[in-house]
Amino acid sequence: MTKSVSAKAVARSYRTERGLTFTVGVLALLLGAGVSALGLGWFGTYRAQRPVLDPIALDWLGRQQPALLRVLVIVIGVVLLGFGLWWFVRSLRPERHPDIELDRGEGTALTVTSGAVTHAIEADAETIDGVNRARVHVVGDRENPALRLHLWLREGTDLRQVWADVDDRVLTRAREALGVRTLPTAVRLELGAAQRQRVR
Amino acid sequence: MRVLVRLLSALLGLAVAGAGALLALEVGWQWWRPADAPLVLPWPEWRETLATVGWNSSQVRITAALIGVAGIVLLVAAALARRRDVAFADPADEVTVTTSPRSLARVVGQHVRAHDNVTAASVTASARKVRVRAVSALTSERELRPELLDSVATLLGDLPLTRQPKLSVVVDSPKDRR
Repeated sequence: MTKSVSAKAVARSYRTERGLTFTVGVLALLLGAGVSALGLGWFGTYRAQRPVLDPIALDWLGRQQPALLRVLVIVIGVVLLGFGLWWFVRSLRPERHPDIELDRGEGTALTVTSGAVTHAIEADAETIDGVNRARVHVVGDRENPALRLHLWLREGTDLRQVWADVDDRVLTRAREALGVRTLPTAVRLELGAAQRQRVR
Repeated sequence: MRVLVRLLSALLGLAVAGAGALLALEVGWQWWRPADAPLVLPWPEWRETLATVGWNSSQVRITAALIGVAGIVLLVAAALARRRDVAFADPADEVTVTTSPRSLARVVGQHVRAHDNVTAASVTASARKVRVRAVSALTSERELRPELLDSVATLLGDLPLTRQPKLSVVVDSPKDRR
Protein backbone atom coordinates (compact mmCIF):
# COMPACT_ATOMS: atom_id res chain seq x y z
CA MET A 1 0.00 0.00 0.00
CA THR A 2 1.48 3.33 -0.98
CA LYS A 3 0.76 6.19 1.29
CA SER A 4 -0.33 9.47 -0.17
CA VAL A 5 1.98 12.46 0.10
CA SER A 6 -0.24 14.06 2.72
CA ALA A 7 -0.26 10.90 4.85
CA LYS A 8 3.53 10.83 4.72
CA ALA A 9 3.65 14.44 5.87
CA VAL A 10 1.88 13.70 9.17
CA ALA A 11 5.15 13.05 10.95
CA ARG A 12 8.73 12.37 10.10
CA SER A 13 9.29 8.82 8.89
CA TYR A 14 11.05 6.51 11.30
CA ARG A 15 10.88 3.48 9.09
CA THR A 16 14.58 3.14 8.24
CA GLU A 17 15.83 3.85 11.76
CA ARG A 18 13.31 1.51 13.32
CA GLY A 19 13.96 -1.20 10.75
CA LEU A 20 17.73 -1.06 11.19
CA THR A 21 17.48 -1.02 14.99
CA PHE A 22 15.05 -3.94 14.84
CA THR A 23 17.37 -5.89 12.53
CA VAL A 24 20.37 -5.36 14.80
CA GLY A 25 18.23 -6.45 17.75
CA VAL A 26 17.21 -9.66 15.96
CA LEU A 27 20.81 -10.40 14.96
CA ALA A 28 22.09 -9.79 18.51
CA LEU A 29 19.35 -11.97 19.97
CA LEU A 30 20.11 -14.81 17.52
CA LEU A 31 23.85 -14.53 18.15
CA GLY A 32 23.40 -14.56 21.92
CA ALA A 33 20.97 -17.48 21.79
CA GLY A 34 23.18 -19.44 19.37
CA VAL A 35 26.34 -19.03 21.43
CA SER A 36 24.42 -19.86 24.62
CA ALA A 37 23.01 -23.01 23.00
CA LEU A 38 26.48 -23.99 21.85
CA GLY A 39 27.93 -23.36 25.31
CA LEU A 40 25.16 -25.37 26.99
CA GLY A 41 26.06 -28.32 24.81
CA TRP A 42 22.88 -28.49 22.73
CA PHE A 43 24.94 -29.04 19.57
CA GLY A 44 26.99 -31.79 21.22
CA THR A 45 28.80 -32.05 24.54
CA TYR A 46 32.26 -32.20 22.96
CA ARG A 47 31.64 -29.27 20.68
CA ALA A 48 30.85 -27.19 23.76
CA GLN A 49 34.26 -28.01 25.22
CA ARG A 50 36.24 -26.90 22.17
CA PRO A 51 37.99 -23.51 22.24
CA VAL A 52 36.24 -20.50 20.72
CA LEU A 53 38.99 -20.11 18.12
CA ASP A 54 38.70 -23.71 16.99
CA PRO A 55 41.91 -25.18 15.46
CA ILE A 56 39.75 -26.96 12.84
CA ALA A 57 38.32 -23.63 11.66
CA LEU A 58 41.78 -21.99 11.73
CA ASP A 59 43.21 -24.86 9.66
CA TRP A 60 40.45 -24.44 7.11
CA LEU A 61 41.12 -20.69 6.97
CA GLY A 62 44.85 -21.30 6.56
CA ARG A 63 44.24 -23.49 3.51
CA GLN A 64 42.41 -20.67 1.66
CA GLN A 65 44.11 -18.18 -0.67
CA PRO A 66 45.59 -15.63 1.78
CA ALA A 67 45.48 -12.71 -0.67
CA LEU A 68 41.86 -13.40 -1.64
CA LEU A 69 40.83 -13.70 1.98
CA ARG A 70 42.51 -10.43 2.92
CA VAL A 71 41.02 -8.54 0.01
CA LEU A 72 37.60 -9.94 0.89
CA VAL A 73 37.92 -8.88 4.55
CA ILE A 74 39.17 -5.40 3.61
CA VAL A 75 36.30 -4.95 1.16
CA ILE A 76 33.82 -6.04 3.85
CA GLY A 77 35.41 -3.56 6.26
CA VAL A 78 35.19 -0.68 3.80
CA VAL A 79 31.57 -1.53 2.94
CA LEU A 80 30.69 -1.62 6.65
CA LEU A 81 32.41 1.75 7.12
CA GLY A 82 30.46 3.36 4.28
CA PHE A 83 27.15 1.83 5.32
CA GLY A 84 27.68 2.75 8.97
CA LEU A 85 28.50 6.38 8.12
CA TRP A 86 25.44 6.65 5.87
CA TRP A 87 23.32 5.18 8.67
CA PHE A 88 24.80 7.54 11.30
CA VAL A 89 24.38 10.68 9.21
CA ARG A 90 20.87 9.69 8.17
CA SER A 91 19.81 9.14 11.77
CA LEU A 92 21.13 12.45 13.05
CA ARG A 93 20.17 14.62 10.08
CA PRO A 94 17.41 17.07 10.92
CA GLU A 95 14.22 16.91 8.94
CA ARG A 96 14.34 18.78 5.65
CA HIS A 97 12.12 21.76 5.05
CA PRO A 98 12.38 22.36 1.32
CA ASP A 99 11.74 25.63 -0.46
CA ILE A 100 8.88 25.63 -2.91
CA GLU A 101 9.71 26.19 -6.57
CA LEU A 102 7.07 28.22 -8.24
CA ASP A 103 8.55 28.61 -11.66
CA ARG A 104 11.53 27.03 -13.32
CA GLY A 105 11.59 28.13 -16.88
CA GLU A 106 14.42 28.85 -19.30
CA GLY A 107 16.73 31.25 -17.48
CA THR A 108 14.25 32.09 -14.76
CA ALA A 109 13.78 30.57 -11.37
CA LEU A 110 11.35 31.58 -8.68
CA THR A 111 11.40 29.86 -5.35
CA VAL A 112 9.68 30.71 -2.12
CA THR A 113 11.67 29.88 0.98
CA SER A 114 9.92 27.53 3.35
CA GLY A 115 10.05 30.13 6.12
CA ALA A 116 8.17 32.70 4.06
CA VAL A 117 5.45 30.21 3.18
CA THR A 118 5.00 28.96 6.71
CA HIS A 119 4.80 32.37 8.35
CA ALA A 120 2.11 33.51 5.94
CA ILE A 121 0.03 30.37 6.41
CA GLU A 122 0.46 30.43 10.18
CA ALA A 123 -0.85 33.96 10.38
CA ASP A 124 -3.75 32.98 8.15
CA ALA A 125 -4.64 29.87 10.17
CA GLU A 126 -4.59 31.72 13.46
CA THR A 127 -7.44 33.92 12.27
CA ILE A 128 -9.76 30.89 12.16
CA ASP A 129 -12.33 30.87 14.91
CA GLY A 130 -11.30 28.38 17.58
CA VAL A 131 -7.67 28.11 16.60
CA ASN A 132 -5.43 29.13 19.44
CA ARG A 133 -2.06 28.62 17.84
CA ALA A 134 -0.83 27.35 14.52
CA ARG A 135 2.56 26.04 13.43
CA VAL A 136 3.29 25.23 9.82
CA HIS A 137 6.20 23.40 8.22
CA VAL A 138 7.00 22.54 4.65
CA VAL A 139 8.12 18.90 4.57
CA GLY A 140 8.94 16.30 1.98
CA ASP A 141 11.35 16.88 -0.90
CA ARG A 142 11.52 19.48 -3.64
CA GLU A 143 9.55 17.39 -6.11
CA ASN A 144 6.75 16.57 -3.68
CA PRO A 145 6.51 19.29 -1.07
CA ALA A 146 3.74 19.03 1.49
CA LEU A 147 2.46 21.16 4.32
CA ARG A 148 2.26 20.09 7.93
CA LEU A 149 -0.25 22.16 9.85
CA HIS A 150 -0.20 21.86 13.60
CA LEU A 151 -3.31 23.47 15.07
CA TRP A 152 -4.09 23.96 18.75
CA LEU A 153 -7.85 24.24 19.17
CA ARG A 154 -9.73 25.78 22.06
CA GLU A 155 -12.05 23.71 24.18
CA GLY A 156 -15.43 23.09 22.61
CA THR A 157 -14.49 24.05 19.08
CA ASP A 158 -16.59 22.61 16.29
CA LEU A 159 -14.19 20.48 14.28
CA ARG A 160 -16.20 20.46 11.08
CA GLN A 161 -16.28 24.23 11.04
CA VAL A 162 -12.51 24.38 11.54
CA TRP A 163 -12.02 21.90 8.71
CA ALA A 164 -14.19 23.87 6.39
CA ASP A 165 -12.29 27.05 7.25
CA VAL A 166 -8.91 25.38 6.87
CA ASP A 167 -9.82 23.95 3.51
CA ASP A 168 -11.75 26.91 2.12
CA ARG A 169 -9.71 29.78 3.40
CA VAL A 170 -6.22 28.82 4.40
CA LEU A 171 -5.40 26.07 1.96
CA THR A 172 -7.23 27.58 -0.96
CA ARG A 173 -5.40 30.84 -0.45
CA ALA A 174 -2.09 29.04 -0.10
CA ARG A 175 -2.76 27.12 -3.31
CA GLU A 176 -3.71 30.26 -5.14
CA ALA A 177 -0.72 32.18 -3.85
CA LEU A 178 1.66 29.41 -4.83
CA GLY A 179 -0.11 28.75 -8.10
CA VAL A 180 -0.43 25.01 -7.59
CA ARG A 181 -3.51 22.92 -8.12
CA THR A 182 -2.99 20.53 -5.25
CA LEU A 183 -1.06 21.07 -2.08
CA PRO A 184 -0.80 17.89 0.02
CA THR A 185 -1.43 18.81 3.63
CA ALA A 186 -1.28 16.93 6.90
CA VAL A 187 -3.23 18.58 9.69
CA ARG A 188 -2.40 17.68 13.24
CA LEU A 189 -4.94 18.83 15.78
CA GLU A 190 -4.36 19.36 19.46
CA LEU A 191 -7.84 19.34 20.92
CA GLY A 192 -8.93 21.16 24.04
CA ALA A 193 -5.64 22.98 24.44
CA ALA A 194 -5.81 25.20 27.49
CA GLN A 195 -6.71 28.72 26.64
CA ARG A 196 -4.22 31.01 28.22
CA GLN A 197 -5.90 33.58 30.42
CA ARG A 198 -4.27 36.92 30.24
CA VAL A 199 -3.94 38.63 33.59
CA ARG A 200 -4.96 42.24 33.56
CA MET B 1 10.65 6.39 22.49
CA ARG B 2 11.01 7.70 18.98
CA VAL B 3 13.90 9.96 19.99
CA LEU B 4 15.51 7.02 21.78
CA VAL B 5 15.32 4.89 18.63
CA ARG B 6 16.83 7.69 16.57
CA LEU B 7 19.68 7.97 19.07
CA LEU B 8 20.19 4.19 19.27
CA SER B 9 20.14 4.02 15.51
CA ALA B 10 22.83 6.70 15.26
CA LEU B 11 25.01 4.91 17.82
CA LEU B 12 24.60 1.57 16.02
CA GLY B 13 25.53 3.20 12.73
CA LEU B 14 28.63 4.69 14.32
CA ALA B 15 29.54 1.30 15.83
CA VAL B 16 29.18 -0.44 12.47
CA ALA B 17 31.29 2.23 10.76
CA GLY B 18 33.98 1.99 13.45
CA ALA B 19 34.07 -1.80 13.32
CA GLY B 20 34.37 -1.76 9.52
CA ALA B 21 37.15 0.83 9.59
CA LEU B 22 39.16 -1.05 12.24
CA LEU B 23 38.70 -4.37 10.43
CA ALA B 24 39.93 -3.00 7.10
CA LEU B 25 42.77 -1.08 8.79
CA GLU B 26 44.12 -3.97 10.85
CA VAL B 27 43.95 -6.50 8.02
CA GLY B 28 45.56 -4.08 5.56
CA TRP B 29 48.30 -3.13 8.01
CA GLN B 30 49.07 -6.75 8.84
CA TRP B 31 49.33 -7.50 5.12
CA TRP B 32 51.57 -4.52 4.39
CA ARG B 33 53.86 -4.69 7.45
CA PRO B 34 53.50 -8.05 9.20
CA ALA B 35 56.39 -7.13 11.53
CA ASP B 36 54.60 -4.21 13.32
CA ALA B 37 51.37 -6.17 13.22
CA PRO B 38 48.82 -4.79 15.66
CA LEU B 39 48.15 -1.17 14.71
CA VAL B 40 45.43 -0.07 17.12
CA LEU B 41 43.79 -3.16 18.58
CA PRO B 42 45.80 -5.82 20.48
CA TRP B 43 44.27 -8.61 18.38
CA PRO B 44 47.15 -11.15 18.74
CA GLU B 45 46.41 -11.18 22.49
CA TRP B 46 42.73 -11.68 21.80
CA ARG B 47 43.58 -14.58 19.53
CA GLU B 48 45.64 -16.26 22.24
CA THR B 49 42.90 -15.79 24.84
CA LEU B 50 40.17 -17.05 22.53
CA ALA B 51 42.24 -20.12 21.63
CA THR B 52 42.28 -21.20 25.30
CA VAL B 53 38.68 -20.31 26.24
CA GLY B 54 36.06 -22.99 25.56
CA TRP B 55 32.50 -22.40 24.34
CA ASN B 56 31.15 -23.69 27.65
CA SER B 57 33.28 -21.34 29.80
CA SER B 58 31.44 -18.90 32.00
CA GLN B 59 32.90 -15.79 30.27
CA VAL B 60 31.53 -16.87 26.91
CA ARG B 61 28.15 -17.73 28.40
CA ILE B 62 27.88 -14.39 30.23
CA THR B 63 28.91 -12.48 27.09
CA ALA B 64 26.35 -14.39 25.02
CA ALA B 65 23.64 -13.67 27.58
CA LEU B 66 24.53 -9.95 27.59
CA ILE B 67 24.41 -9.80 23.79
CA GLY B 68 21.03 -11.54 23.82
CA VAL B 69 19.65 -9.11 26.41
CA ALA B 70 20.97 -6.13 24.43
CA GLY B 71 19.17 -7.56 21.38
CA ILE B 72 15.91 -7.78 23.33
CA VAL B 73 16.32 -4.18 24.52
CA LEU B 74 16.79 -3.01 20.92
CA LEU B 75 13.76 -5.01 19.79
CA VAL B 76 11.57 -3.55 22.53
CA ALA B 77 12.74 0.00 21.81
CA ALA B 78 12.07 -0.43 18.08
CA ALA B 79 8.68 -2.01 18.71
CA LEU B 80 7.53 0.74 21.09
CA ALA B 81 8.49 3.55 18.71
CA ARG B 82 5.41 3.22 16.55
CA ARG B 83 3.02 6.06 15.93
CA ARG B 84 -0.20 6.09 17.90
CA ASP B 85 -2.01 8.80 16.00
CA VAL B 86 -5.78 8.92 15.99
CA ALA B 87 -6.99 9.46 12.43
CA PHE B 88 -9.87 11.65 11.35
CA ALA B 89 -11.79 11.21 8.13
CA ASP B 90 -10.04 13.06 5.30
CA PRO B 91 -11.93 16.31 4.67
CA ALA B 92 -10.58 16.66 1.12
CA ASP B 93 -8.24 15.00 -1.31
CA GLU B 94 -4.62 15.10 -0.22
CA VAL B 95 -5.51 16.42 3.21
CA THR B 96 -4.87 14.08 6.14
CA VAL B 97 -6.03 14.98 9.62
CA THR B 98 -4.80 13.32 12.79
CA THR B 99 -4.64 14.01 16.48
CA SER B 100 -2.79 12.53 19.41
CA PRO B 101 -4.35 10.01 21.82
CA ARG B 102 -3.52 12.44 24.60
CA SER B 103 -5.58 15.09 22.88
CA LEU B 104 -8.55 12.75 22.54
CA ALA B 105 -8.26 11.80 26.21
CA ARG B 106 -8.16 15.50 27.14
CA VAL B 107 -11.38 16.23 25.27
CA VAL B 108 -13.18 13.25 26.81
CA GLY B 109 -11.82 14.15 30.25
CA GLN B 110 -13.02 17.74 30.02
CA HIS B 111 -16.42 16.50 28.91
CA VAL B 112 -16.73 13.96 31.73
CA ARG B 113 -15.55 16.37 34.41
CA ALA B 114 -18.13 18.89 33.28
CA HIS B 115 -20.84 16.40 34.23
CA ASP B 116 -22.74 17.39 37.39
CA ASN B 117 -22.21 14.30 39.50
CA VAL B 118 -18.60 13.61 38.63
CA THR B 119 -16.02 14.72 41.18
CA ALA B 120 -12.92 13.46 39.37
CA ALA B 121 -12.12 11.49 36.24
CA SER B 122 -9.17 9.94 34.50
CA VAL B 123 -9.20 8.99 30.85
CA THR B 124 -6.85 6.95 28.71
CA ALA B 125 -7.38 6.87 24.98
CA SER B 126 -6.03 5.21 21.87
CA ALA B 127 -7.41 4.98 18.36
CA ARG B 128 -9.15 1.74 19.34
CA LYS B 129 -10.30 2.25 22.87
CA VAL B 130 -11.27 4.99 25.28
CA ARG B 131 -11.30 4.14 28.97
CA VAL B 132 -13.01 6.46 31.41
CA ARG B 133 -12.67 6.11 35.14
CA ALA B 134 -14.93 8.54 36.97
CA VAL B 135 -15.26 9.19 40.68
CA SER B 136 -18.60 10.29 41.99
CA ALA B 137 -19.38 11.18 45.57
CA LEU B 138 -23.14 11.30 45.27
CA THR B 139 -24.30 8.91 42.58
CA SER B 140 -23.91 5.16 42.38
CA GLU B 141 -22.38 3.39 39.41
CA ARG B 142 -25.73 2.00 38.32
CA GLU B 143 -27.22 5.46 37.89
CA LEU B 144 -24.22 7.35 36.54
CA ARG B 145 -22.63 4.82 34.19
CA PRO B 146 -25.38 4.75 31.52
CA GLU B 147 -25.50 8.55 31.52
CA LEU B 148 -21.76 8.85 31.04
CA LEU B 149 -21.68 6.10 28.40
CA ASP B 150 -24.38 7.89 26.49
CA SER B 151 -22.91 11.36 26.66
CA VAL B 152 -19.33 10.31 25.87
CA ALA B 153 -20.59 8.17 22.97
CA THR B 154 -22.38 11.22 21.62
CA LEU B 155 -19.24 13.31 22.03
CA LEU B 156 -17.14 10.73 20.18
CA GLY B 157 -19.83 10.34 17.56
CA ASP B 158 -19.63 14.06 16.87
CA LEU B 159 -15.91 13.81 16.18
CA PRO B 160 -15.37 12.68 12.58
CA LEU B 161 -13.04 9.82 13.50
CA THR B 162 -12.28 7.16 10.90
CA ARG B 163 -13.03 4.44 13.41
CA GLN B 164 -15.09 4.85 16.50
CA PRO B 165 -13.14 3.67 19.52
CA LYS B 166 -14.68 1.22 21.93
CA LEU B 167 -15.80 2.92 25.08
CA SER B 168 -15.53 1.62 28.60
CA VAL B 169 -16.72 3.54 31.63
CA VAL B 170 -16.07 2.66 35.24
CA VAL B 171 -17.59 4.68 38.04
CA ASP B 172 -16.03 4.65 41.46
CA SER B 173 -18.51 5.76 44.08
CA PRO B 174 -18.57 5.47 47.88
CA LYS B 175 -22.28 4.73 47.64
CA ASP B 176 -21.47 1.36 46.11
CA ARG B 177 -19.23 0.36 48.99
CA ARG B 178 -21.97 0.22 51.59
